[in-house]
Amino acid sequence: MNPIITVFSKGIEKSGIKPSKVSVPSDIPFGSEVVNHLGVDFFHTIRGRAIPFGTGLKLGNPALKVVPFVGDLMTLGGNHFVHAGRRNMELLVICVNNFVYRKIGGQPAPSTPVTFSPYSTFEEPFNIPHLGNSCGAVYTARWTALHTDELANSIAEALNKQGLSVIEVLSPGPNYYTKIEDIESNLINFYYENSVIKNGEDPKNARITPEEKIVVGKFTDKERPTFIDSYNAQLSKVLGDKFTPYGGKNG
Amino acid sequence: MRIDKRGVLTGTWNLSGNQACAEGALAAGCRFLSAYPIPPSIEVVERFTQRAKEVGAVFVQMEDEISVLAAVLGASWTGKKSMTVTSGPGFSNMMEHLGLGVMLETPCVIVDIQRAGPAIGIPTRVGQGDMMQARWGSHGDYEIIALSPSSPQEMFDFTIKAFNLSERYRVPVAVMSDAYVAHLKEKVVIPPAGKIKIKPRRYYKGRKDKYLPFKRDKDFVPRMVDIGAGYRFHVTGLTHDERGYPIMFEECQEHNVHPLVKKIRHYVDKIVEFQEVETDDAEVVIISYGATSRFALKAMEQARKSGMKVGSLKLITVWPFPDKRVAELAKKAKAFVVLEINYGQIVFEVERCSYGNANVAFVSHGEKGIDNIEDLLSTIEQVMKEKKVRKGIIEYRT
Repeated sequence: MNPIITVFSKGIEKSGIKPSKVSVPSDIPFGSEVVNHLGVDFFHTIRGRAIPFGTGLKLGNPALKVVPFVGDLMTLGGNHFVHAGRRNMELLVICVNNFVYRKIGGQPAPSTPVTFSPYSTFEEPFNIPHLGNSCGAVYTARWTALHTDELANSIAEALNKQGLSVIEVLSPGPNYYTKIEDIESNLINFYYENSVIKNGEDPKNARITPEEKIVVGKFTDKERPTFIDSYNAQLSKVLGDKFTPYGGKNG
Repeated sequence: MRIDKRGVLTGTWNLSGNQACAEGALAAGCRFLSAYPIPPSIEVVERFTQRAKEVGAVFVQMEDEISVLAAVLGASWTGKKSMTVTSGPGFSNMMEHLGLGVMLETPCVIVDIQRAGPAIGIPTRVGQGDMMQARWGSHGDYEIIALSPSSPQEMFDFTIKAFNLSERYRVPVAVMSDAYVAHLKEKVVIPPAGKIKIKPRRYYKGRKDKYLPFKRDKDFVPRMVDIGAGYRFHVTGLTHDERGYPIMFEECQEHNVHPLVKKIRHYVDKIVEFQEVETDDAEVVIISYGATSRFALKAMEQARKSGMKVGSLKLITVWPFPDKRVAELAKKAKAFVVLEINYGQIVFEVERCSYGNANVAFVSHGEKGIDNIEDLLSTIEQVMKEKKVRKGIIEYRT
């Protein structure tokens, strides 16, 4: 996880945004000292609820760049994710996907590809960039944690996008049952070596399966009115001069 | 704190409880409302959104009440006074984030317009069945403040009071209203902006790099800052230290969670409010809150006319419960009659606080119509005839 934070820090730097204007609601406990060095305001909320919490932060102060770091994205946070896409809420969702519930024993997750568990899982996993794209996200990408430069560029790009951006990061998390160093370095190399960069690929073709190489890259980059844009446009249309636009450039 | 005059609709109006609640929120400076549509709370949202354009407030309808309260907590950290309004099923959804609100010590107001339950119940029927849920609904240890208004005027006043209490104690405050009060239309007097007391947020004013988000003042309440102002802080729903960093040891549980309880319990006498009518010579005291307190007064007057010495104790803050006052009254009076639109919730608190000194009779109100006080009057008559203190809660009607 900490390497991703380092990349995130680079991404913020590249984007030209002040770290103090970035706030991170998360459902993952980071090493707090690491976060402190990032220089962002950090909220560790409840499992899967980082997106709605971030929605409140963004609407409360539209000048903020809100970056939900989410672990339980597709389970507890699934509906929040779908609706954030529909609204095109201005959030950068970074989903750290290690395929399983690693910290609590490696149970299968809705992002676990089949054959990952001893008796094999049989449920179809979510293809996160594809789901994000279908729900209306304006930016979707997937990288492994070793694609550090590409990931930092993606984060910088996405931070300057207007609307919901989704970046999936494939990462090996720590596990109580194996030597952390072993599993982390082996797995991350495995993901990295078995990936193929296909920028602009239709995310529906980017399913992760054990048979094929993992497709990484920037998949979606489009424009759509954001929630705050639509809110202001609609209310200005109905109320005319009586309405002062909320947030956005008018603060 | 200077009050934002745009939010205060000074004058005398004919408003429903729900409309008055929205006006109270706007007057208190609430500028963020999030909700999911649920009867009987809808008019609060309608009124708020109608007026939002004048004051620069924002409303967002979320996908469920889980996200509603999450958004409210987020918005509160940006420095906006934030509120949500719901009813039973939504209140159940909110319990998860009620716990987070308590743990992150985030000021916000939750208005619960109670209806009949459990589950979907009757969406339009009045109920008071969420009272215990407000106190105990989220897991883990916490204390909460809950107010219970009995008229549109009180919906206005108590919503402001709720915001003030939540800023003072940094705790989510529940306004436990009900469908009857919410839809009742009555005169509501909204005073001039200068006459409304608003408790400002308690901000940290020291050096930015020295800010500790959970360093407590002597009164156990830590100071807040706004997000995005450069304090670079970290807060977590895990058990944490003063810096807001997770520390999962026994000692830290005591260090972190005990003050959440103490900051309310130590100031119970300041927080607790109630109204007493003719309790000085009362042999029977009717205890009620919200909608039922209107019928308690009606029954009291009738009983007094027929020569019975009856008084009324109306709870304004239901949580924390006025333990001391109920215990004092238990020594003076022969009996309490507790009137609730449920099958017994606050009556358990009354029984606990009467310490065996007075009989406690319970009346489940509303089955014969909200205006019907026959059961209440007959219970008062019967409990008067009791020769000694009986164990447990007495119900004359089975």
